[in-house]
Amino acid sequence: MQTYDVHTLPSNDNVNAYAFSIELAGRWFVSKGAMIAYYGNVNFDGVAAWASRDGFIASRFSSPIYIQDWVVAEGQGKVIVADRGFDVQSFDLEDGNLTLRANNLIGFETGLELKQSIVPGFVTLIGTGKFLASSNGPVIFVEPPFRADPEALLGWADCPSPSHHYDAQWMAASLGSMLQGMFGRESGEERQFDFTGQGTVLMQSSETLREDPALMRLIESQTSLLSTQQAGLLGQRLVARAQQQ
Amino acid sequence: MAFEQVNSKVVRAQVSPATAVLARRGAMLGYDGQVTFRPVAGQGGGVGGFVGAALSGESNPMMATEGTGSVLYGFRGLHVTVIELNGSGSLTCEADRLLAHDANLQTGVEFIGQGGIRAAVRGAMTGQGLFTTKVSGAGAVALLSHGGTYAIPVDGGGVAVDPQAYVGHVGNIQVDLAAKVGWRDAVGRGSGEAFQLKMSGQGTVYIQASEQKF
Amino acid sequence: MVTLTADKRLLHADLAGETIRAATGSMVAYTGNVEFKNAGMGGGGGFKAALKQKVSGESIKLMECSGSGRVTFAQDAMDVTVIDLTGDTLAVESEHILAVSGGLTLDVKFSGLQGMTSGQGLATTTVTGQGQVAIVSDGPLIALAVQQGVPVVVDPDAFVASFGQMSMNLVSGVSWKSLVGEGSGEPFSLRFEGAGTVLVQPAER
Repeated sequence: MQTYDVHTLPSNDNVNAYAFSIELAGRWFVSKGAMIAYYGNVNFDGVAAWASRDGFIASRFSSPIYIQDWVVAEGQGKVIVADRGFDVQSFDLEDGNLTLRANNLIGFETGLELKQSIVPGFVTLIGTGKFLASSNGPVIFVEPPFRADPEALLGWADCPSPSHHYDAQWMAASLGSMLQGMFGRESGEERQFDFTGQGTVLMQSSETLREDPALMRLIESQTSLLSTQQAGLLGQRLVARAQQQ
Repeated sequence: MAFEQVNSKVVRAQVSPATAVLARRGAMLGYDGQVTFRPVAGQGGGVGGFVGAALSGESNPMMATEGTGSVLYGFRGLHVTVIELNGSGSLTCEADRLLAHDANLQTGVEFIGQGGIRAAVRGAMTGQGLFTTKVSGAGAVALLSHGGTYAIPVDGGGVAVDPQAYVGHVGNIQVDLAAKVGWRDAVGRGSGEAFQLKMSGQGTVYIQASEQKF
Repeated sequence: MVTLTADKRLLHADLAGETIRAATGSMVAYTGNVEFKNAGMGGGGGFKAALKQKVSGESIKLMECSGSGRVTFAQDAMDVTVIDLTGDTLAVESEHILAVSGGLTLDVKFSGLQGMTSGQGLATTTVTGQGQVAIVSDGPLIALAVQQGVPVVVDPDAFVASFGQMSMNLVSGVSWKSLVGEGSGEPFSLRFEGAGTVLVQPAER
């Protein structure tokens, strides 16, 4: 086993498939809990705390629902980040934009701007800089036209946002037989994200999805679109669902 | 048709009208081309096979992938091992290890162990998975495991395997079920009967580096 | 003499009459003639160690495997690393011990009152003597050197083991002065100073 020190530790490169060493000389946005070790003089402070300190940082992170899950690492040194033993890969964006599952983004340079995607649970990075993504197994790149199981979708770049595709045969088989109750729960085969146009789609093996704390905040904020009566009905349904489990 | 190993956790299949694929429901990650999915009840082998499967707890919700295109399969980040069957032998595994296989392969429920029906029932109750699925014919099978499979050759002498770590086996292997003094210390992390699978004969047994089922 | 061999996520122990101790329930396969029996209070070190285990909440259950043949061990598909000890001491989080060869002594050690109150499981097991110890980690271990004037700070949830002449301090993150839920996400960190090596895993417990 190789022993690294502060000099031999990779600089802005993978330590192994599951860990990445950031050469910090300034600031990085890092997902909370992603740091596993560091050398040097580094401070970790909440992005929310930075917002009042530095307008630039606030302008780079334009998503109130994700802000509490992120910190700014500031200082000089080497910071090793990892995520649940998942594969970690770095990507460079040059004046580009890429949308990623929010749970799988674990760090990015301040040259990139983070925005909440219109697709729930995803964020879009815009600008120039390096970012780090975790995935269950190495990332698989495919080109549209392509249909992806939403749970296995890691992100996409350059192509239009996806639309929903419902598998007609699956729906027919499901509705037409008494089996419906048996697979009433979505298994991923009845509904996909449909990608068209030019670009790249990023895939990973599906996972038992980690709870995304931001998703609840997002959906809750959207319930303001409902009338009072509708909101009450939704509440009753959710209570019934919680009691079933 | 063979499965192309995209990485340790994902395989790709080229589906055509002549080569349909049966896969575990929820295992499709994405596809291109004109491909449709159809839920099928239980596993192949006709009504008898299905009833047997339901009784033994070896039933596994499957689906058929038909049409023309290329399809990615994977499941919850588990590792995938592809095993090719040339028609002369068969693969024995637990039904929920089956990620996908050629639709023209035959599957049926098989009961392993020589402990008699009482041991079998007891095994089924304690979830030791003594009812297994036998896959035969010529074609490819993709198996799921926690952390990957390791092949252990069985060559006369015999290998004892923890049932929780057992994934499957090929070849001419006799499987005996035995309880042994001290075995509970060796495998017994949970409750339940402490069994071992005694494999003898000629062939390969696949184990995973974990006692976790998924 | 090599008894323990790591094979990615498996550990093979080739026994020719020796006895090794391994985590209870971790055997996945074996050939030959091997007996397994509960090693009782696996930590060794007698009553004092047992008491400390109770206090620290660290439970390390070991079994004795003896005979001749090859025994294969694994735990939760974690990566296996075998470390050769030649008289030095390895401090390792108890739940990461997979097996130890004969001739090694295990004991439970505290990192002091601070570690106790943090609830971060800072009571570690020390392994001392001449022999081999197999440890498991969620993903391959990363070894980080600590030199005079060059400390390393690690997340307690990623810490697996350490050896050398080092002092360990708990440093609290900014979460104390920030609002709840807006902290750094690393409420405690461990700072290692001195000379030695720290082993971390690319995942958090």
